[in-house]
Amino acid sequence: MNMGFMQRSVSFTRFQVEDPLPEDYTESFPERIARRAFRKIEEESLEERSEGWVNIMDMLDSDFSAMEYFKDPYLALSWRVDTRRVPSNALKRYAGEAEKEIKKRERLKYLPKKRRDEIREYTRLMLLKRVLPSTQVYDVVWHLDAGILLFGATSVKLCDEFRSFFLKTFECGLTPVYPYSLGERVLKEAGGDPGLLYDIRPSMFGGEVQP
Amino acid sequence: MNVLDQARDTEFLGREFLTWLWFKTETEGGLFNLEEGLTGEFVVDGTLTLTSDSDDRRETVVCTGENPRLREARFALTEHKKVTQARFRLVIGDDTWVFTLDSMWMNFKSLKGPKLLRDPGEDPDGMFYEKMGVVEQPVAAVDAVYHRFLEIRTSAEWEESEMPAIARWIHGDSLE
Repeated sequence: MNMGFMQRSVSFTRFQVEDPLPEDYTESFPERIARRAFRKIEEESLEERSEGWVNIMDMLDSDFSAMEYFKDPYLALSWRVDTRRVPSNALKRYAGEAEKEIKKRERLKYLPKKRRDEIREYTRLMLLKRVLPSTQVYDVVWHLDAGILLFGATSVKLCDEFRSFFLKTFECGLTPVYPYSLGERVLKEAGGDPGLLYDIRPSMFGGEVQP
Repeated sequence: MNVLDQARDTEFLGREFLTWLWFKTETEGGLFNLEEGLTGEFVVDGTLTLTSDSDDRRETVVCTGENPRLREARFALTEHKKVTQARFRLVIGDDTWVFTLDSMWMNFKSLKGPKLLRDPGEDPDGMFYEKMGVVEQPVAAVDAVYHRFLEIRTSAEWEESEMPAIARWIHGDSLE
């Protein structure tokens, strides 16, 4: 069972959902989610990466038979990313052995760089089939009424990758919350004037003490 | 201007907020009125990271310890450094949360809240809603305090009384 957001300690980034919720979301979202549901990497395939949606309460479930992701007023899912990478030391060793074998068979003293690159890529693909994928799961909770989404990671690179996947699924952009955008929102929600932020310049705290 | 550039250009607001919140915890007990008549108590809980504003000479100091009135952290403020990351403890009623806030994205890191009462095996949906309450309450509390900060920051009060008070605190008794 995936417990990401349900764990004792949670780290997350906040996003503002850029577009309004479609009126037909209860019909269109299941189709969009199913299209991007997670599919595992087949053992004999040459796939290096697979990403998709899984059940937030169970990362092995990507069928969503009961549309469990609708948890009014939230839409709750996990973004699962499986990757396979050939360890560099193993690639170096196996590619070296292959080069040696070819030089012996073809009675060559030297292999041109292009040929060595081809051998290295072929070796990498052969080894890739034997590498078990590593799995990462990041929870996603979208408050549909508020248009705020919590994503269970804080790395900028991961956030960018996730935004791209979210856009592909829902055709809807995400803007990360940062102090200025959060300021505009909290002032607006309280009936204040977000325009007050436009002219603010940094203050120097450590200056001379004023009487 | 894209989001990353705008976030970088306006990060000073996040740094000033974290520094101001630390100041409030030390000088006024960190008590804030939240919505629905609740009071939240913020305390700096451990680690503070301070960074200078100038890009050409970016220096960072990390101060840890049980006593948040760390001499090094206060000294860093006199060198025009500001808080870029801080770990806070928040108490609302009988419930306590600890979390780290950063100045660039206002992310919550390593947030720990009250223990959940529901069993995930017996009532997974109930547990989900309970956990979302535990996650959203400190977020709403920080937003409410950030709003209070912006009210002061965008008013004449900032220059007239808040800034001088912060300067006095920075150069205050703990550095003597």
